Amino acid sequence: MTDQTPLVRIEGLSKHFGETVALQDLTLDIAQGEFVTFLGPSGCGKSTTLRILGGFERPTKGRVILDGEDVTGQPPERRNVNMVFQDYALFPHMTVAQNIAFGLELKGMGKADIKRRSDEIMSFLELDAFGSRYPLQLSGGQRQRVALARALAPDPALLLLDEPLGALDAKLRGQVQQELKSIQRRTHKTFFFVTHDQEEALTMSDRIVVMNKGRVEQDGTPEELYFRPASRFVAEFIGETNLLSGHVRGTEGDKVVMDWEGTTLKGKAPARVPGEGQPITASVRLEKLGFHAERPQTANAVQGRVVSKTFLGSRMSMQIAVGDKGDALLKAYVDAETGQSVGNDPVWIGWEADNMAVLND
Amino acid sequence: MNNRPELFRGNRIFLACIYWAFVLYVFVPLILMVLMGFKDSKFIGFPIRSWTLDWYTGVFADAEVISTFGYSVAIAVLSTLISIFVGTWIAVLLEGRKFTGRGVTFGLTVLPALVPGIISAIAFRIYARYLGIEPGMGAIIWAHAVHNVPFVVLVVMARLSTLPKSQIEAARDLGADPLVAFMRITLPYLVPAILGASIFCLLLSFDDFVRSFFLGGYDPTLPVLIFAKLRSGMSPEINAIATVALVLTAAIGIWAERFTRRMNKEN
Repeated sequence: MTDQTPLVRIEGLSKHFGETVALQDLTLDIAQGEFVTFLGPSGCGKSTTLRILGGFERPTKGRVILDGEDVTGQPPERRNVNMVFQDYALFPHMTVAQNIAFGLELKGMGKADIKRRSDEIMSFLELDAFGSRYPLQLSGGQRQRVALARALAPDPALLLLDEPLGALDAKLRGQVQQELKSIQRRTHKTFFFVTHDQEEALTMSDRIVVMNKGRVEQDGTPEELYFRPASRFVAEFIGETNLLSGHVRGTEGDKVVMDWEGTTLKGKAPARVPGEGQPITASVRLEKLGFHAERPQTANAVQGRVVSKTFLGSRMSMQIAVGDKGDALLKAYVDAETGQSVGNDPVWIGWEADNMAVLND
Repeated sequence: MNNRPELFRGNRIFLACIYWAFVLYVFVPLILMVLMGFKDSKFIGFPIRSWTLDWYTGVFADAEVISTFGYSVAIAVLSTLISIFVGTWIAVLLEGRKFTGRGVTFGLTVLPALVPGIISAIAFRIYARYLGIEPGMGAIIWAHAVHNVPFVVLVVMARLSTLPKSQIEAARDLGADPLVAFMRITLPYLVPAILGASIFCLLLSFDDFVRSFFLGGYDPTLPVLIFAKLRSGMSPEINAIATVALVLTAAIGIWAERFTRRMNKEN
């Protein structure tokens, strides 16, 4: 295998459940060693994709090619793919060591090899002390690690993770996110992670595929998705943003000029720019808005009045009423000191054209 | 406000009285039966002037009683093994994939538990003759097994419905084919239910009179033997036999109930 050949190639994958279309013509390559996250709301097709990769669902159409071999019709037990289940699915009547050895036994490994491999993976995941415990005697975080150890033990080409952090409390989740990412780096395994939590996706992934209604909305690095969302759905789903709905006035190079609440704004053009006078939406992130006493030199500037402030510690969240009638609201993050100095007087809000993405719906 | 606790207390006393009256109603006949087994006289009835263990020594020395007891136990064990095997199989089938005729299959499976004993006994008798099955141990085991299958199916299905689907998927994911996944994951999960159902089947079979009576050959089962002895007149010996059977079945039943409850809690 050269580096150019993708580990997984998904070709025209579709899945219908009766009348419902769960997945629509998905085509995608996953490279060896990538941490890919499928992100989207429930029913977007992310779990269906995962279950097809695991062999638990047959696609209605399309193929899955793993390591150059067509595995579309193969049952789960014959695929070199393992999964960490949402509820971990640890076997309650087996100890931690027996759970981890299960996949190795079924691979036909000898007793000594099983012991060596289990010990190796248990010390790697710091589970040495728990080998003889039963799953019910462990905490949520420990169970999660056992599930991971069990799935990694048979050395799969691809590891599937089905929202494995959903059952953990918020504090532990952050810690486990870091752990997972570092385990993935150290093992050089290809991780296929499914979640509806955008923050989780941003922190861990090399690449995020945003899904909506069975289709890919956008496929890119976390930075691309955050700063250059391809659609209104992606802009709203990832992070917090201001969505400005206006009308197209024209284009200037790679920028779109638009009318919004009586002001002319400039932003980065999307793939297709609608004709003049057509409705259009632009997205600008909360932290990209600057506060000024005088009209700033930025490409975009509007005057408004702060209507509410929320102190968040290191920064403040502000709501600014702008527009002809003052009924359009902008949200912005500023550092706490600037936030405190802003009073009831009108302020100028400015941002650069490069920080605003004009979107296709 | 002040008289409410009083009212409540009165209610509780009333309920307690009813409860104890019911307990008395249920247990007095049993207690009388046990007491008569210790009476030093052939006639059943009060007063008991002197006590004896002779009836019990007689029972344990009676080769017929002992062999009948063994015969009943053998029938119970064999019919239970068959019911467990068939019942578990049907439960797995019904709880798995949806298929056409699932409702009908379930209905037919449960039916034997609903048919009155005397009617099913007569039906078994006619059917056995039609099939050429001789009355005797085989016929009794067959009838008991069929009668007990529904209980196994219901108990095992209830347990099976609580097995998360991901357990089997995890086993398959780790390389187990459907059979290995069943043997190593599903079956261990079903053990408490299977044990509970087994005890229930053993007791049902051991206790059965009607089917054993209609399908029996020359050798009686314990209930049939008791019935036969009754026809030649009531004697404290019967009380002694019945007491031993009562103590044994109650002990097994209570132990099994506690055991399965503990196992269910652990899983």
